[in-house]
Amino acid sequence: MSKKKEVNCEELCPEWECTQPSEYSGIWVVGEIDETEETISEPSLQMLTPANYIASKLGVEVEGLLLGYDKELLEKAAHEMIYHGANRVRILTSNKLKPYIAEVYARIISQIVDKYKPEVVFFPATMKGRELAPYVANTLRAGITADCTQFDVDEKTGDVLMIRPPFAAILLAYIKTPTRRPQIGTARPNVFPKPPRDASRKGEILWEDEKEYKIPRPRTRLVRVEYMKREEIPIEKAEYIVSGGRGVGTLEGFKMLEELAELLGGVVAGSRKAVDLGLIPHDKQVGQTGKAVKAKLYIAVGISGAAQHVVGIRECRVVVAINKDPDAPIFKHADYGIVGDWREIVTELIKALRERTKKAS
Amino acid sequence: MKRPRIVVGIKWVPNTQAVRFDPKTGTLIREGVPSIVNPHDLDAIELALKTREKYGGEIIVVTMAPPGAEEGLRHVIGMGVDRAILVSDRVFAGSDTLATSYTLAKTIERIGRVDLVFFGQETIDSSTAHIPAQVASWLDLPYIYYVESIEKLELKENKVVVKRKLEDRYEWYEVELPVVIGVAMHSNPPRPISLTNKLRAVTEKPIEVWTNKQLGLDPRCIGLRGSPTIVSKVTWQPEIPRKRKIYQGNPKEAVKWLIKHLEEEKVLP
Ligand SMILES: Cc1cc2nc3c(=O)[nH]c(=O)nc-3n(C[C@H](O)[C@H](O)[C@H](O)COP(=O)(O)OP(=O)(O)OC[C@H]3O[C@@H](n4cnc5c(N)ncnc54)[C@H](O)[C@@H]3O)c2cc1C
Ligand SMILES: Nc1ncnc2c1ncn2[C@@H]1O[C@H](COP(=O)(O)O)[C@@H](O)[C@H]1O
Repeated sequence: MSKKKEVNCEELCPEWECTQPSEYSGIWVVGEIDETEETISEPSLQMLTPANYIASKLGVEVEGLLLGYDKELLEKAAHEMIYHGANRVRILTSNKLKPYIAEVYARIISQIVDKYKPEVVFFPATMKGRELAPYVANTLRAGITADCTQFDVDEKTGDVLMIRPPFAAILLAYIKTPTRRPQIGTARPNVFPKPPRDASRKGEILWEDEKEYKIPRPRTRLVRVEYMKREEIPIEKAEYIVSGGRGVGTLEGFKMLEELAELLGGVVAGSRKAVDLGLIPHDKQVGQTGKAVKAKLYIAVGISGAAQHVVGIRECRVVVAINKDPDAPIFKHADYGIVGDWREIVTELIKALRERTKKAS
Repeated sequence: MKRPRIVVGIKWVPNTQAVRFDPKTGTLIREGVPSIVNPHDLDAIELALKTREKYGGEIIVVTMAPPGAEEGLRHVIGMGVDRAILVSDRVFAGSDTLATSYTLAKTIERIGRVDLVFFGQETIDSSTAHIPAQVASWLDLPYIYYVESIEKLELKENKVVVKRKLEDRYEWYEVELPVVIGVAMHSNPPRPISLTNKLRAVTEKPIEVWTNKQLGLDPRCIGLRGSPTIVSKVTWQPEIPRKRKIYQGNPKEAVKWLIKHLEEEKVLP
């Protein structure tokens, strides 16, 4: 791969530090600790999939970065990153990092990145990651591309291509940052599968010295937390999803979907139209402005199959569509489709599944 | 008593629902597509209005956009905001989120004393959710996303308590002022616009237009030159291959057919 041309500092915005792309090397993934599960978050491990791919194309290594206050937990998380493909993990732990405050974490991450100069930094676009990554990018005056669905390398220049659907999900834009490093990218949970876990993999753990960094005084103080009772698994973790659209039409209709989901041991989700109609809360919306899901079985009921919806079901194993319109686009995105009135079909499906479980027991 | 000065950033976006695709040329048909105020920004306007109802003060709306965005500013004046600034100049064209946030940050600086800066959570045309954090970084202010409500504003003590919602919890934060706040989507459904306000929008409240003459920003920091990211190409989204087997007919038979296949696929519990 050819070396990039030198950046002319005169041409650069004086508010940006002038650095040369050639000074940067390696791929980083910033890991996020899931405080409730007390481990590394799934979406962080998923980011190792594109990281490993880009690293192999560029012939460089993958490094994880973890920040926090619980040493033991961080070490465990670092091992998980290594088992999933990281070559090395850097950890910074400090009592001053409790609790998590986006601004504080972002400023320290910026300092660490500035010190070691990786050419690429990936963040999972979880709620926290979406808050954190743009601050880091801005502090470094780096280019950032949100919600990528693919990553690749421009073979001629070695720039990373951050690929995302702009505007309408039918298109893909290839975005690159030729003159600035690091190149920062994020991807939503479940857009990439997690790499296979191999507990025999070895890697290095490097402990950063907190004295080398300026930990800012937090201007934000967490005063209270109230956990929501969650009887259900969130849709992004569910194996079985029955998803309803405008075709289902009513809350009473969604009750029926609930019944079907329960029989499968799964959850109900919906399209944006269903959310707009108040049939289902926004945190159960599937698609571009909702969540991507990775169910074993996804049943789309009364959903037309707009591009913005189906980008959310790419990682599902089997997709079933029930729609009365034989020309509905959803059938092109389904493995098995039934044309007909959803109410009749779901009624039959509930009956059939009940009989099936009866027979099995 | 001191009253809060609130800035709200809004974006004038093409109504993406109305954008059509030309399969022959493989391009988006944007002509004739109406633009709207980014729907998620109306939640931010609404939260600002509620805050003003309780604490008084002034709401100043800012957008960086081509001249057509005046229509959007009139819409929010109709909702009841006090002042509207259109940041508009050819030299800002082609800005990515770094350059956009820089221009917005400099605009906010020029407005003078500001206590609260509200943004929508994200836009419907680019949905990056970058701008609030980036503006906070340029202005060196604390920031917080996913805020649903202002619980307590204490201007004298220079602090605010906000409530936000994450996946599995509510969190209350006390933050020093001034602060940049990303307002959660769907959290504050906007009030309808009032005709009197709308009339006033035309007669009493001219929209201020700020060009780079007023802002005086270095051309290397704005527009295309101030944008590190570039779009190198646009293609079709490849489809995930699916089996596309379809059954049309009697519901009972259809379900039998489906279950047989799902059993073969081993995806039934
Ligand atoms: C920027 C942007 C982001 C978006 N993000 C998302 C997103 O994240 N998620 C999302 O879902 N959408 C999203 N959308 C909206 C998307 O474009 C569609 O408008 C939406 O997905 C349509 O929802 P729907 O399929 O439920 O409704 P419709 O398109 O109205 O489809 C209803 C379907 O129900 C069928 N039907 C009606 N009655 C019956 C019956 N009795 N039996 C069986 N079938 C029946 C109809 O044939 C039809 O196909 C986004 C749009 C934009 C512009
Ligand atoms: N050009 C702009 N002018 C003013 N505010 C903007 C502009 N672009 C984005 N914003 C604000 O930043 C929020 C997040 O936008 P985005 O980062 O593009 O998803 C939006 O909801 C707006 O409140």
